[in-house]
Formats: sequence, structure tokens, C-alpha cells
Amino acid sequence: LLKDMDKVEETSKDIIKFTAEKLSVDDVSQLVTSPLCGAISLFVGTTRNNFEGKKVISLEYEAYLPMAENEIRKICSDIRQKWPVKHIAVFHRLGLVPVSEASIIIAVSSAHRAASLEAVTYAIDTLKARVPIWKKELYEESSSSWKRNKECFWATNS
Amino acid sequence: MVPRCQVEILYFAKSAEITGVRSETISVPQEIKALQLWNEIETRHPGLADVRNQVIFAVRQEYVELGDQLLLLHSGDEIAIIPPISGG
Repeated sequence: LLKDMDKVEETSKDIIKFTAEKLSVDDVSQLVTSPLCGAISLFVGTTRNNFEGKKVISLEYEAYLPMAENEIRKICSDIRQKWPVKHIAVFHRLGLVPVSEASIIIAVSSAHRAASLEAVTYAIDTLKARVPIWKKELYEESSSSWKRNKECFWATNS
Repeated sequence: MVPRCQVEILYFAKSAEITGVRSETISVPQEIKALQLWNEIETRHPGLADVRNQVIFAVRQEYVELGDQLLLLHSGDEIAIIPPISGG
């Protein structure tokens, strides 16, 4: 039985999920935990309450789902080429994300901390440049605005 | 006569607000340059001229710029209009 458990632990996982439900840092962290790892690094993106003097009440997200998932898979594959990581989890929320709630959680585990810390940074930076997900800022004054990441690899001029 | 095929155009974010639809099926030549495909779509939805310089295509889930690249399309192919992204 112990031998079977070792075999299960050796398989590295890429866990990608899009959901309208509230995200839990604890749940995502648990998914990448491994007895082989001494480090879990996390990035949590949350809705900020302001943009250029306007009061933001919520963000609203949509995604081109099959392609977004595939692009994140490519990011996971890139990460595994560059760093010795164990498990990777990327959870992105869709629909309304009110102020201070999490829109994205990225968790990576590795034996030692440098790999997972660098991999998490790479994951969020590359997601912002390449993954087809959009957010709209909803302002208190009832107006709204589709946002653009500065990392977006096309459309550098407005 | 250039053979044609039926492809599905998907609209997201600002482009979906402009057209008022999330998807539609259109008939296009099987071989067409990316920019020519955009022009056909813009003819159907003139409001899309506002985003012409900001969008990119995803053809069968691969990014293609609105330029001279020759697309080889098949019936049932998905072509998405991708406005500037803002995930994360």
C-alpha cells in the first residue's frame, strides 16, 4: 500500500479551473500540497476599489473558455521546462467579483522555494499577456469600462 | 469560383457589445487573408471599425494578427474576435 501511495505522489498535476463561485486560498493551496515539497508559493489577485479617481464597486470577468484553458496549459508546460516544480493550480473566477474578493489564485509547489516563487511570477505575468480573459470595471456612478492589461502582447496603442 | 465554407465567428467583451451577438455563422472563402476576413466581418457590423486597431483573431484557438497571413479555413472552424485582454 505504501508503494502505491508513492506512485500517486509522483504524478505532477496541472489543475486549471474557471468558476463563478468565490475562490478559496485554503482550497487551492491544499491542491498543490505534497510531502515532497517544502514550498508553496501563491499569487492572489483581488478587486481594487479605485481606478483613476473613480470608485470601483465590482469587476466583471468573461473568458473564451476552451482557448483560455489551453493557453494556461501552455503556461504550465513552459513552467515545467524552466523550473523544477511539483504541482500547479490556476483558478480564475468569472462573472462579478466585488471589491477585495479574489479573481485569481495561482499556487505552485516545489521542493525548495526559489522555483515556486519564480514560477508564480511567470504564471501571472504570462497569463496577463496571453490568456483570452476580459474584465470590465463597474463604477459607482453606473458607468463601466473594459480594461486592457499593459502586458497584452498586441494593441499597444489606444 | 473560390470555394467557400461556413465558419463560426465568436465575439467577446467590447466586440460583443458592439455587434449585439456572441456568435454567428457566416460564409467565407476557404482561402482568405486575415485582413480581408476582418473587412467581411466589419461590413456586417460597421460599429466594429472602432476596435479594428485593437483586436486580434483567434483561428482554431491560435492567435492571428489582422494582416496578410493567408488563412486556410474549413467548415465549422471557430474564429474569435479577441479585444485587448485583461485577465488576472
